[in-house]
Amino acid sequence: MDRKKYGISGFFQRIAQPFINFYKRFMDGSIGTKMSHFIMGAGNIYHGQIIKGLIYFLIQVGYVVFMVTCPKVNNTPLGYKAFINFVTLGTQEGDIFTPADNSMLMLLFGVVTFGITLMYLFAYNSSIKSSYKADKDLKNYGKVTTFRHDLKEMFGNRFYIAMLTPATLGAVVFTLLPTLFMILIAFTNFDKERQAGLKLFDWVGLDNFTTFFTNPSGEIAARFLPVLGWTLIWAFFATFLNYYGGILLALLINKKGLKGKVIFRAIFVLTIAIPQFISLLAMRNLIGEYGPLQSFLIKVGIMSEPMSFLANAPNVWIARITIILINLWVGIPYSMLLASGAIMNIPESLYEAARIDGASKFTILRKITMPYIVFITTPYLISSFIGNITSFNIIYLLTGGMPKVTGGYIAGGTDLLVTWLYKLTIDEQQYNLGAVIGILTFLLTSTVTLITYRRSKSYKEEDAFQ
Amino acid sequence: MSEKNENVKVKKIRPNYLNLSSSEKISRLGAYILLIVLCIIWLYPIVWIVLNAFRTEFNPDGTMVGTVVSHYWPKQVGWDNFKILFTNTYFPVWFRNTLVVAVFTCILSTMLNMSVSYVMSKVKFKMRKPFMNIAMVMGLFPGFMSMIAIYYILKALGLTQTLFALILCYSAGAGLGFYVGKGFFDTVPNALIEAARIDGAGEARIFATIILPISKPIIVYTALMSFTGPWMDFIFARVILGEQNTHLHTVAVGLYYMMYGQIVDTSRFTVFAAGCVCVAIPIVALFMYLQKYYIEGSTAGSVKG
Amino acid sequence: MRRIKSFRSLALLLAICMIMALFAGCAKKANPLTIWVGVESVDFYTAKMAEYVENYKAKTGEDFPYEIAVQGVDTGSAASKVLDDIDAGADIFTIAHDNLPKLTAGASAIAPVRSQALLTQIKSDNPQAFLDVIDMNVQGTTYTFGIPYIAQSLILMYNTKYLTKDDVKTWEGIWAAAKKHNMQSVSLTGSDGFNNSFLVLAKNETTNRMPTVLYEDGITENCNFTSDEVVAIMQWGQRFFTGANGAKMPTDSGWEIELRDEISLGVITGAWKFNAAKAALGANLGIATLPSFTLTSEDVKGTNVKAGTVYRSGTFADCKVFVMKKGSDKADYLEDILLFLTSKEVQEQSFIECANLPAYKNAAKEFASMQTDNLETELAARQLDMFDYGIPQPFGTPTSQFYYYSKGAPDLIREILENKDGLFGTTEAIRTQLQKVENIWKTGERE
Repeated sequence: MDRKKYGISGFFQRIAQPFINFYKRFMDGSIGTKMSHFIMGAGNIYHGQIIKGLIYFLIQVGYVVFMVTCPKVNNTPLGYKAFINFVTLGTQEGDIFTPADNSMLMLLFGVVTFGITLMYLFAYNSSIKSSYKADKDLKNYGKVTTFRHDLKEMFGNRFYIAMLTPATLGAVVFTLLPTLFMILIAFTNFDKERQAGLKLFDWVGLDNFTTFFTNPSGEIAARFLPVLGWTLIWAFFATFLNYYGGILLALLINKKGLKGKVIFRAIFVLTIAIPQFISLLAMRNLIGEYGPLQSFLIKVGIMSEPMSFLANAPNVWIARITIILINLWVGIPYSMLLASGAIMNIPESLYEAARIDGASKFTILRKITMPYIVFITTPYLISSFIGNITSFNIIYLLTGGMPKVTGGYIAGGTDLLVTWLYKLTIDEQQYNLGAVIGILTFLLTSTVTLITYRRSKSYKEEDAFQ
Repeated sequence: MSEKNENVKVKKIRPNYLNLSSSEKISRLGAYILLIVLCIIWLYPIVWIVLNAFRTEFNPDGTMVGTVVSHYWPKQVGWDNFKILFTNTYFPVWFRNTLVVAVFTCILSTMLNMSVSYVMSKVKFKMRKPFMNIAMVMGLFPGFMSMIAIYYILKALGLTQTLFALILCYSAGAGLGFYVGKGFFDTVPNALIEAARIDGAGEARIFATIILPISKPIIVYTALMSFTGPWMDFIFARVILGEQNTHLHTVAVGLYYMMYGQIVDTSRFTVFAAGCVCVAIPIVALFMYLQKYYIEGSTAGSVKG
Repeated sequence: MRRIKSFRSLALLLAICMIMALFAGCAKKANPLTIWVGVESVDFYTAKMAEYVENYKAKTGEDFPYEIAVQGVDTGSAASKVLDDIDAGADIFTIAHDNLPKLTAGASAIAPVRSQALLTQIKSDNPQAFLDVIDMNVQGTTYTFGIPYIAQSLILMYNTKYLTKDDVKTWEGIWAAAKKHNMQSVSLTGSDGFNNSFLVLAKNETTNRMPTVLYEDGITENCNFTSDEVVAIMQWGQRFFTGANGAKMPTDSGWEIELRDEISLGVITGAWKFNAAKAALGANLGIATLPSFTLTSEDVKGTNVKAGTVYRSGTFADCKVFVMKKGSDKADYLEDILLFLTSKEVQEQSFIECANLPAYKNAAKEFASMQTDNLETELAARQLDMFDYGIPQPFGTPTSQFYYYSKGAPDLIREILENKDGLFGTTEAIRTQLQKVENIWKTGERE
């Protein structure tokens, strides 16, 4: 496509483009457009688009009022004061009768006000653009669009804006802003000793990260690599064992001439349908020392005495292997479904041709079935790997991260990065360390995504499919 | 469709069982045995929970044995656990709460998800690629990193400790999970839309009258996924609703706290099992009934990536 | 066209429904006066508050201006909840006293007691041990923050089918019975610091002193865990934890099943597990103070302790306190409510109805209900006995509690006791590990 748009120069070009447009509109625009730069909606009114102009003007008034009056929530202001507080993170220490400045809320409200300002700038730009468009329309067609016409456009050519707006708004407020907030926490010293409203906390820049990496005997850093290692091992085994297990099961069920495919499949779908927390808690109790499973194994003679498999396992690897095995129970039905779908879509003609050529069953399996399945389900494999890196339920519900290991800092032997993050944040109130680990987890998953997703054929051929 | 083909073909060339070579017979028998063993393994825990829900054994002094016991099959069955569940705990309240949350989340999520999926698939607008990339990046952060911030944002809006806040939380991020939906809409031929456009229909009209009717599988799939979500989540619900408001809890939080709360009471395991059964039945029923759509939805998404 | 109309009207209807749900959901909630108590006591305190409101009306002739909501919240997590969101905390809530430092850090999240009447009642009703721990220093001034109303310590709950009252006086007695019936002596309920506290806090019976020095006078640096006596106690503990029929390591299934299935003879726990223990053992439930143990010559090897020294198992002896939220808009009414709720009359009633051990210092002598002879009074009496051998959790600063529980010290102690692969078979090895624990208690760092 536009080859020249890539590369560093292309990058700067694309960044600069909006500013160039902005300048151009100012220069080329009519008086109305020029006025729109100062009073939103002026240009629209100039052209006779009263309603539209009023809407833009009200937005501007609303924003200015908001920024100046600084409404308070929980005694912490929004508006321009939020920006100041964002930098200082509070100045008043508080005493026995008055609370200290709430540094956390100040950080959050700084981000929120920033978000509102961004939306305002977006509206600002949009008002200028609409005035400029009115200029152009006047020049080209001799008249400007009426409000009714614009409204119709909303459900017509520009329907996609109406469709995207609520979802984007929701995603920004409930996903983007909070994540940004947590990322910023990683650069502060908001921890157990500086609870919100009791004590102020401050920006510390990259200190958390440097202590993390340059203090290898420190508690956190000493735990990070082992937990990371286990996370990767777990993700690897969980993903691949489930994947191939599912394929094998699908092949078994779809075996030629086997009756009752639907029934067998339905039984496994039943397993998926049961909510995870029910099945995992059931599993946890089922394989307890005095549960039915161990009693049965002892009676039959496979085991000699009850043993703990999960949170109190004598060896942390016993717990780890148990979790991987239980995860097989949880995950194989799902990959079996996908593989089944793929198998059923293999055109019969391929099989016919291979049989005519005299290929043995095993060769057919190796050369036709497997590559087809793998090709179709590769995206699932990738997303499943990433999902397993951040899979919280199974670890938390089965072992709660136990058993403990020597030198474990909050993290137990089966803790993944995400469960460790949860414990640090919710149980220990070490918010900044939790945020650091969250960021590191994100770096891990995004690296994996970038490498595999870009490489995978499916992604490359996405446009070709269209 | 290919199933039909297979059936037809099977009818044509299916030999009599006796006509099969002995190796074929053995392999087929082996497959059946293996499958049955696997099914038993997979059903073992599920059946156990159901059995426990009905287990009503009593101690010599008349109290009920509610803990986990070492025998698989109950010695005595009855409805006592369900009676306790519905009269002695807040379970009916939890059930109602979760139902309300699930229904609204389902509607809201599906609307948001379908809108975004359709736009991502069919409309080539300027910010498309950046939007997709940002959405993918957002999805890579661990979900509950944002929990504290969401709690305070909700607090600023005055919504904490309400069910509405929970509905918002579950649905708001729905727009980011558009990959499956997009994969489905990619398979809808553009020609169909073009023809409608030429006929002069507006975009909204096209979406409502042409796209929606043929998207039944993906709509059902999305609705099913977003309906069952609130029944299973206990992390977000716990934080937003507040642990002390037992009358606001959802089923997942309530049941979890029954067994693993601070006041751990392992002698209520049978009641817990009864609760699990009550929760599982509607969800499983839904899944089985909509099985077809579920399979189609999950495979469609992964096929096209 | 008709389809569009119906679609649009459907969408409109849906939108209206959602907006209505929005308003229904966040309708202005009434602003009640909230009180958090332990989950087991909710009904009792609800009734008490109803009584209070009636008395208020009778005394002043007016209705109490706020609606009162009593909610059950686990006392272990109430402090964290309040710190996460001070506004969402209750006006009055219950914590174990060791959470006071956390809550009064910085500018404090709780309000001090100012009413003279309440302060007088606190001073007259509570034993010195409790009075020492309810005062905290905030920004230079010391205030009283907590009002004790429940006392709690650890006790031994055991199976009377196999153990007599004499057996449970010593660990050796229990151990012998366990050997005879091929069971384990005691079930450990978890791997946290609470469970091996009976060794850490053991008291020398002759000198009546505790070998371990733990945050004495509330000063973080006043810790000592490396004396000879501690080493000897640890060696005894090793024998007990690793020996046949000794202590049982925690299991996934839980100690209730171990008691019920007669795999273990007893459990060290507190009053909050009384109902669970009763469910497990039924009529065979016995309650005793924690036993004593005697050091043999094997245990004192490598130390200067004399063989035959007797130690009593120790415990943390805690009180649960009511505290008030800072800046509550109902502050004027809270102290009077607390005067009522922590009065000795209400404490006695709470003992009768919820088996809550009163904090009142003369409860054992004065309460009629404590003179009867049933399991509940037994539970209360034994806990009170333990107060002679226990110390209140002495965490004077918020960091001390953190260092003690969350920095891995309990695991190090457990490692010594479990002695896997004989790693801690020598006194030198034990001493090095104990030094690590001491460092963690003092500084939060291992070395």
